[in-house]
Amino acid sequence: MVTLTINGRSVDAPKGTMLVDAAKAAGIEIPIFCYEPRLGPPVGACRMCLVEVEGMRGLQTACSTPVAPDMVVNTDNEVAKDAQDGVLELLLANHPLDCPVCDKGGECPLQDRTFRFGPGETRTLEPKVHFPKPLELSPLVALDRERCIACYRCVRFSQDVAEDAQLTFQERGDHTEIATFSGDPYEGRFTGNTIDLCPVGALTSSPYRFVSRPWDIKNTPSVCAGCSMGCNVEITERDNEVKRVTGRPDPNMAVEEGWICDRGRWGYPALRSADRIDSPVLVDSVGRRKVLLERAVAEAAGVLVNRDARVGILLGDPITVETGFLALELAQRVGAGPAMVARMGIPGTGLGPMRSLPGAQMDDIDQADVVLVIGGDPCTQQPVAELRVRKARRRGARVAVFGPRPSALDDSCEAMRTVPGHLMDAAGAIRDRLDGSQRAVVLWDEADLAAEPDAAALIAGLVQATPGARAIEMCADTSGPGLRALGIGTDADLLAATEAGEIDVIVTIAADPITGPSGDRWAQALVGVGTIVEMASHATAITGHADLVLPLLTPLEEEGVLVSMTGRAQRLRPGAREVPGAAAAWEILIGLTHRLGTPVPDRTPAQAFSRLAREHAPFAGLDYEVLGRDGAVITPPAQHDPDSARRDPQGEGLLVIACTPVFGDATAHRSDALASVVEPTRVGLSPAEADRLGVRTEARVRVATPHGEAVLPLEVDARLHEGAVYLFVGDPAQRAMRLLPLDRGPVRAVVGVAAREEVSA
Amino acid sequence: MTTHELEEFLAPMRHEYADPRSLILPALRYAQGDAGWLDPQAMAAVAEATGFSQAYVESVASFYDRLYLEPVGRRVINVCVTLSCMLRGSDEIFEHLADYLGLDGEGTTDDGMFSLHKVQCIGACDRAPCLQIDAGQQIGPLEPADATCLVDDLREAAAPARYDR
Amino acid sequence: MPVLNSVFRHREFGDHLTSLVEYERAGGYLGLQGTLAMSPDDALYAFHRSGLRGRGGAGFPMGRKASFLPKDTGKPTYIVCNADESEPGTFKDREIIEHNPFQLIEGMTIAGYAVGCERAYIYIRGEYGVQGEVLAAAITEAREAGRLGPDALGPGRPFDITLYRGAGAYICGEETALLESLEGKRGQPRLKPPFPAVAGLYGCPTLINNVETLAALPPIMHRGPDWYAAMGNEKSPGTKLFSVSGHVLKPGNFEIVLGETTLRELIYDLAGGLREGREVKAVWPGGSSVPVIGRESLDVPLDYETLNGVGTFLGSGGCIVMDDSGCIVRASWRLAQFYRHESCGKCTPCREGTGWLAKILGRMVHGEGRGEEDIRMLESLFGRISGRTLCPLADGAVMPVQSALNLFRDEFVRVASEGSPRPEPMMETPVG
Repeated sequence: MVTLTINGRSVDAPKGTMLVDAAKAAGIEIPIFCYEPRLGPPVGACRMCLVEVEGMRGLQTACSTPVAPDMVVNTDNEVAKDAQDGVLELLLANHPLDCPVCDKGGECPLQDRTFRFGPGETRTLEPKVHFPKPLELSPLVALDRERCIACYRCVRFSQDVAEDAQLTFQERGDHTEIATFSGDPYEGRFTGNTIDLCPVGALTSSPYRFVSRPWDIKNTPSVCAGCSMGCNVEITERDNEVKRVTGRPDPNMAVEEGWICDRGRWGYPALRSADRIDSPVLVDSVGRRKVLLERAVAEAAGVLVNRDARVGILLGDPITVETGFLALELAQRVGAGPAMVARMGIPGTGLGPMRSLPGAQMDDIDQADVVLVIGGDPCTQQPVAELRVRKARRRGARVAVFGPRPSALDDSCEAMRTVPGHLMDAAGAIRDRLDGSQRAVVLWDEADLAAEPDAAALIAGLVQATPGARAIEMCADTSGPGLRALGIGTDADLLAATEAGEIDVIVTIAADPITGPSGDRWAQALVGVGTIVEMASHATAITGHADLVLPLLTPLEEEGVLVSMTGRAQRLRPGAREVPGAAAAWEILIGLTHRLGTPVPDRTPAQAFSRLAREHAPFAGLDYEVLGRDGAVITPPAQHDPDSARRDPQGEGLLVIACTPVFGDATAHRSDALASVVEPTRVGLSPAEADRLGVRTEARVRVATPHGEAVLPLEVDARLHEGAVYLFVGDPAQRAMRLLPLDRGPVRAVVGVAAREEVSA
Repeated sequence: MTTHELEEFLAPMRHEYADPRSLILPALRYAQGDAGWLDPQAMAAVAEATGFSQAYVESVASFYDRLYLEPVGRRVINVCVTLSCMLRGSDEIFEHLADYLGLDGEGTTDDGMFSLHKVQCIGACDRAPCLQIDAGQQIGPLEPADATCLVDDLREAAAPARYDR
Repeated sequence: MPVLNSVFRHREFGDHLTSLVEYERAGGYLGLQGTLAMSPDDALYAFHRSGLRGRGGAGFPMGRKASFLPKDTGKPTYIVCNADESEPGTFKDREIIEHNPFQLIEGMTIAGYAVGCERAYIYIRGEYGVQGEVLAAAITEAREAGRLGPDALGPGRPFDITLYRGAGAYICGEETALLESLEGKRGQPRLKPPFPAVAGLYGCPTLINNVETLAALPPIMHRGPDWYAAMGNEKSPGTKLFSVSGHVLKPGNFEIVLGETTLRELIYDLAGGLREGREVKAVWPGGSSVPVIGRESLDVPLDYETLNGVGTFLGSGGCIVMDDSGCIVRASWRLAQFYRHESCGKCTPCREGTGWLAKILGRMVHGEGRGEEDIRMLESLFGRISGRTLCPLADGAVMPVQSALNLFRDEFVRVASEGSPRPEPMMETPVG
């Protein structure tokens, strides 16, 4: 620790701390614009943080001056105040006075600091530098160059965090402007973070343009349910609608560090997509009609209470742990005996050894000396994880990526493309990379390694044998570790029972089995089910077949806990409640237990969580208060799962490599804001495979597995492996996921040319 | 300017720099030699030959006065207007040339033959008022009549095989 | 006043020494020969003892700067020659390059031996196209003759020079901006520390010196540091090239022994004096980025300390002279426009402040001034721009204007209310 004096107060700070942070910790605000440690070393450009350090010539930038013993610093004497006032006056010299029409107005650091530290009135009567405005930097980000104060933040984010190298400064002096090459759109998975970073109204969100003013809104901290990363976000509500999602201003440094992906940021318009279910639907002898929620719940209870009813409850994604817990509670109270509760289409068995490895948190990646990515593709599945991996590489970690898919990390990291279905081949290289490492972090893909239990067992052994090595499971489901900790397993038995005619009532919660893995089998099986009760936020393939539809709130609207892929339990808080007729799954489930006459004691998710924490060891000691701002890490029980036999792919033809980009998921397809970046559901082939078929990009091809067939557009990509067909799934309307086995295990597909007019069956 | 041509130009100098980023400026200068300015294709070729993003290459290029991101005339007449030259009549030389070329201040003649630019000190204050055609010899001291003669001579001369601006 | 022994061989032995043969005939490479006979540490000590100060503008002792380079870092050590001569009024390096490129090459080779550098760079401004070609040809010739290349410092002891051409940016004369530019980036100054001696080019120890500084090394090593140190005075030893321009009859470069020649002698005896009937009004003695001085300071001997004593700097030695036909506000406006154009845009005070100064001065000149109010505005802006930025460009932008306002306040006040018509320029052809 170093002791110094700031404004006459004695302050202690760790060695190496910059003055601005030392002051902040002591409750002294030194104004800043360009300083942002998450972007790398300070640049010292804006000069806002000039302070007087006694004994040093001139003023010093507090952002780049480390504390030193006995340093005497003044941040509020006349000299420092004149510097602050002066820099603000100069920043405003060319800044337009359009605060009344600026989206940033009211939540603008430049405005706030001018108010606090700046000149009371303007002295400039010189003409300002003008640029045409606003410029569409992309369909999602608007740029107003007149407002830009050249603080470097967005440019540094693009160059040094996202490493997309697209956003740069052009020209110089007072003509400096932010630009992309030749005016091309700013493309990427993380572009919206530049908006959060911008300390003025230069970069704004186009979908949020003129939507609201800061005094009309309510901001709620929550967690993104777009993937298993668990990024902390802030939801902006106005008039009961989610108007905006941003990174949390006080980031969770152990998770997303304040960065969120554009899918997470601009997925919210999906809340208002045309297929949103706004009211319960009841189908009975009278016909198909909308009813009130209360009636619908009563109807559902009426079905479930039947002593003869054999019930199955199918959970989809995302599902909070409270919903999972209450589903288990409900299962104890229904029909002919305990209902089967299962998770839809989750990857299969053989992961025991991997899941027994010591777990890592995202911030452990920062300190890692070796980072291995095995299978999957974090860049498209858990995008923000990519930023951590890039950061580790910049800090000198050796980063290697193994698997059959091309990845955005390939250019800057060691990329080892394995033959599809042969992750095992990477074992030697993995061993080499781990050899001698002390703080390795291994990110491994749940679905890919479940498909190759032999590779999983071998790789787990390698990691286990490496001192200090830890692992992160890149989960397929948003809250997979949480539901696993509750003991909720796969749907194989439920499907088998349904097929065997042993299920009379199916309750789906955010699950559409017909569209999911082995969807055709499910469709067949559901024919024999007497009653289908669907709880869903948006219409699905079974909505038309359901006897009762109960509208759900989405994770942006509900309360509960999600457990991220690193096992971090974090709270969802409702940002808005867009559909008055809808309810959270936990509300409906509690309501059902009441209707069944065997009510659970819980009235709120907080109570349900406290109770589940008492009953399930991994959550021991937790409640909402303990979860606090940044959540808490749970430890799912060790899994005894010795089956490491190699699994042979079903069917014939090319091995299917399933790709699940979040930018191609159902929400991305439903959000009109993401129309310019949504990933189409499609088939990818290497040029050699395409030549063999005699097809080119945009052709339509028919893909047939033992589980079904689909006709999808083709993309030929030289980075793809021969001998495989890459299936990019996600758009529920295309129902491509159903071509996969129920547990997403290995499968082959016959690929053929589709007739011009042919569409998916 | 193709990527291949640039790569051939850069190949012998690669070993001179510990970081290939240093190749960007020589590559930009060389690419500009072709057409006398840097069109987006030329910058894209520089990006590819050096391995940096196009946006980055354009960002670097736009920082420097003598790299042109917009088309300029066959010859660029750079009239120095900084203090020493001003004291010796550079403004008069500039205005005389603009008149003579039919330009309203800085700009390019309609026939694309000349661009007339005001530039900052070109290190030839002993020759003030002076000008420079592209990055050629600093010429001066000039009288307005000398300047127009120079333009006439240039009009007759062939375009340079490669530009050095 | 006269220079007995010029430091620059072309000035002593005919005007052009552009071939290696000519240069060697004029005593070229004797300095290197002597250097190679001593240890690198002894060579460094010789630099130190000569008292040679950086000739680019800051005047920092060259030997001390070289001694800051850490040894045995496991990284290469680089030498970068700053040939980005862009300071208005300065054209001395151009002369050395055009007339005597080998002396610079030899000087760099000597420095290379002393600091253990194998690869050096000359960063030459983009506008010096012709000069760049002269240097490139000289480097090639030296390489072909084995003066550069694998055995330049003796068998198996390599040293080579890469010529790097800028593309038009004054700021690249600032050493860290130069390094950024040389690394293929936008030429914007870096945050210091670390200083280039520790982490310069590619993060390696780097010695950056001006053309004139490095070119002074061959005679120093040939004739001995004491010979050099004996010229001038204790704090400002040796000779310095002054570029004189503006309202003088014989503009050009003049080499003087520091401390022995007055500004008056430089202007009147060497640079041909002024036009008939004209008097000196203002002089920017060290390039445009130094405070302007008036006729009352003409009798100061030119050296670093004495010029500091009259409130200005020796700077780059680019001496711009304005006679009493000139308007000081107009001159200040022109300089302000220069700095506005050349501000890199990184630091707020410079990016926004240089433009603001230029706009106010422009209004004043064009008769749109607001009298004393503008003067007060200018005065309050000076302190908000200078001393608050990463690099000295902003200070350089403020000093000439601020000093002009102090020295010629009445004229500023008058122009701020009446404007200033454009005066007749001096159109006389230079003498000689």
